[in-house]
Amino acid sequence: MRAIWTLWKKEMRIYFVSPLAYVFLSAFLFLAGLFFYLGVTLTGEASLRVLLGNLAITQLFVLPMLTMRHFAEERRLGTLELLMTAPVSLGAIVLGKWLASLTLCLLMFLGTLVFPAVLAYYGDPDWGVVFTSYLGLVGVAAAFCAAGLFASSLTDDQVAAGLVGIVLLLPFWLVGRAEALLPEEWADTVRPLSVLVHLDSFNRGVLDSADIFYFVAFTAVFLFLTFRSLESRRWR
Amino acid sequence: MNRNLQRRLAVGSNATAVTVLVVAAVVVVYLLVDRFRIRLDLSADQGSVLAADTVNKLGLLDRDGQPVTVTAFSAQRGKKESYFKDRQLQDLLEEMDYNSAIVETRFIDFDKERLTAEKLGVTDYGTVVVQRGDRRVDLQDRDLFRRSGKGDDRKIEFLGEAGINRAFSQLMSDSRRVVYALVGHGELDVEGHDPNGLSELAAALDQENYDLKKLDFVRDRDQVAPRVPDDAAAILIARPRVAIPALEEDLILGYLATGGSVLVAVEPGSYVPSLLGRLGVVVPDGIVLDKLLVFPYPDRPVPRYKSHPITKDLSDEMLVTVVSRAAPVQASVPPKEGVRASTLLETSRDGWIDRGGALDSGAARFEADIDGAGPAAMALALELGPESGLVKRGGARVVVLGDADAIANGLLAEGPGNASFAINTFRWLLGDEGRLSVVGRPSMVRRLALSAEDLGKVRWLVLSIGPLLAVLLGAGVWSSRRGQ
Repeated sequence: MRAIWTLWKKEMRIYFVSPLAYVFLSAFLFLAGLFFYLGVTLTGEASLRVLLGNLAITQLFVLPMLTMRHFAEERRLGTLELLMTAPVSLGAIVLGKWLASLTLCLLMFLGTLVFPAVLAYYGDPDWGVVFTSYLGLVGVAAAFCAAGLFASSLTDDQVAAGLVGIVLLLPFWLVGRAEALLPEEWADTVRPLSVLVHLDSFNRGVLDSADIFYFVAFTAVFLFLTFRSLESRRWR
Repeated sequence: MNRNLQRRLAVGSNATAVTVLVVAAVVVVYLLVDRFRIRLDLSADQGSVLAADTVNKLGLLDRDGQPVTVTAFSAQRGKKESYFKDRQLQDLLEEMDYNSAIVETRFIDFDKERLTAEKLGVTDYGTVVVQRGDRRVDLQDRDLFRRSGKGDDRKIEFLGEAGINRAFSQLMSDSRRVVYALVGHGELDVEGHDPNGLSELAAALDQENYDLKKLDFVRDRDQVAPRVPDDAAAILIARPRVAIPALEEDLILGYLATGGSVLVAVEPGSYVPSLLGRLGVVVPDGIVLDKLLVFPYPDRPVPRYKSHPITKDLSDEMLVTVVSRAAPVQASVPPKEGVRASTLLETSRDGWIDRGGALDSGAARFEADIDGAGPAAMALALELGPESGLVKRGGARVVVLGDADAIANGLLAEGPGNASFAINTFRWLLGDEGRLSVVGRPSMVRRLALSAEDLGKVRWLVLSIGPLLAVLLGAGVWSSRRGQ
């Protein structure tokens, strides 16, 4: 735990002393504001559904960019060997970096809390739906950060890591969209893979054990793959 | 092969095998979790999950096995509320898909897939077509959405679940059944839209494929001698103000003797049909009160559900049936032979039958010398066997309700459980036990009250302040680090 905490602090410091976090924060908040404003003007509803649905897709492109430097940068600078030979378990390294990325995401989401406040001022939002929608957003962030981290563990080129992350995540978004184009038996098979399908219940105020498990499993599998990818350096 | 390569191959294949196994295990666990899902609806109107009634009906369709298709066409793009309409329909179809193996749902973009619309003969945006075999029911916008108010107070409610539910009933049932409401003695008006009318009950019964028609023994000129129509599935006697002639009561008893069903709803002070006495039911003077009241009404006790098929789902879902100034109804002591009486609604132990006194001075409290001790029943279900001497063949069913208001428009809309209680009562009376459940409620769009000026403020707030703060914070950190 202590090692995770130390690594988390180190990663957070890197985020916040460099312009990275602020660039991401301001870009994310601008996009979120745009989605919120469009949602409000188009629907006239006291609902965050348009915003949160779009933010989930935005994360698909933003989060691999946020996580791309974690291992790729360490490899390029040659500090990954140092880190892996330090008295810190590989699991702690992976978890520390993943938690740091997730924390930055949570801070970005914190900035969007002004939107429900606006809705409450001008209308009567359904707080149950707002809560579950944010929970879904956190689930997506946790899963995408893990996938981004895995992509970062595969290469020492940051840009390549970012692109690999997006390519890795894109099918999980596209299957939800392409479902209608597939034959029925195929559609039924690929449907459970779609992030959108699992996010939908959250956006309607429903907590479904299968959807919660999907995001937990997605995160756990990619963290495990990251662990395996780093571990393979020891025997390759 | 050198030893190093051998070692790498061994470790590599081991790592790959473990990775594949872990991923496979996760997939297997997911499939299990997916099969035994647990769902919790946190939305305010619980509108995201289907009502028990719809789930029940989907279950009946699944058991029947004949495929059902629900095809919904999108609303006209660019029109106000089109987003709300499409989203509500899509959510509903998704839930139906999830809850049924036999019902296939499709949401069609009307503009993009005109061919599908033409094939189905659909010409209007927002139409929903429910098909089963060669039968179909079309639902139009007016069946799916209800509008009320004007200007800023304009509201739109989604009634799609009830509409499609009704379509299922129509497709499942070969014929509509008729409930006759006795008239001519000051009963509640079947067509009345005021709080004391029964138009909402008629609409709810219509969804169940039951017609609510008037039964006027005096004015019905089609009949030579007054009689209960042959197609009567049940008779409703809703709060008669004046005495029902003995001849008419005898006709109803005669109808019961052939295995009919009757719902008698009375009020404190209203006429109590004498046939209730023949059935072994007593309606004592007074009104039912309780220490546990529906806030802020001093005359609305919170009824407890007693164990019975009519009330089971209501009790499970903890839906309150609201009664207002209910009359007590009791089974006679000793009970009438051949009549099995079950209490449906009852007060708590702290309830009582109030006969004036303290109530008149505004404070409801039990006075042992004049009031009747609780718990006091407000509704009874009776099953009449041949031993009662009232039934010639089979069995007859009667429900006696001490508060006719509970099934009238006012409380039917207000009480969370009233519609379900009323519909379940008729389902039980008509022997449709397989359909007993809880009736769904409409979901409503939550509108924002934003003027053009407000919209300007919101735009400025959400598009400028947040990003600007983040930029300023970054600039501050950057300049302070440069200073160091």
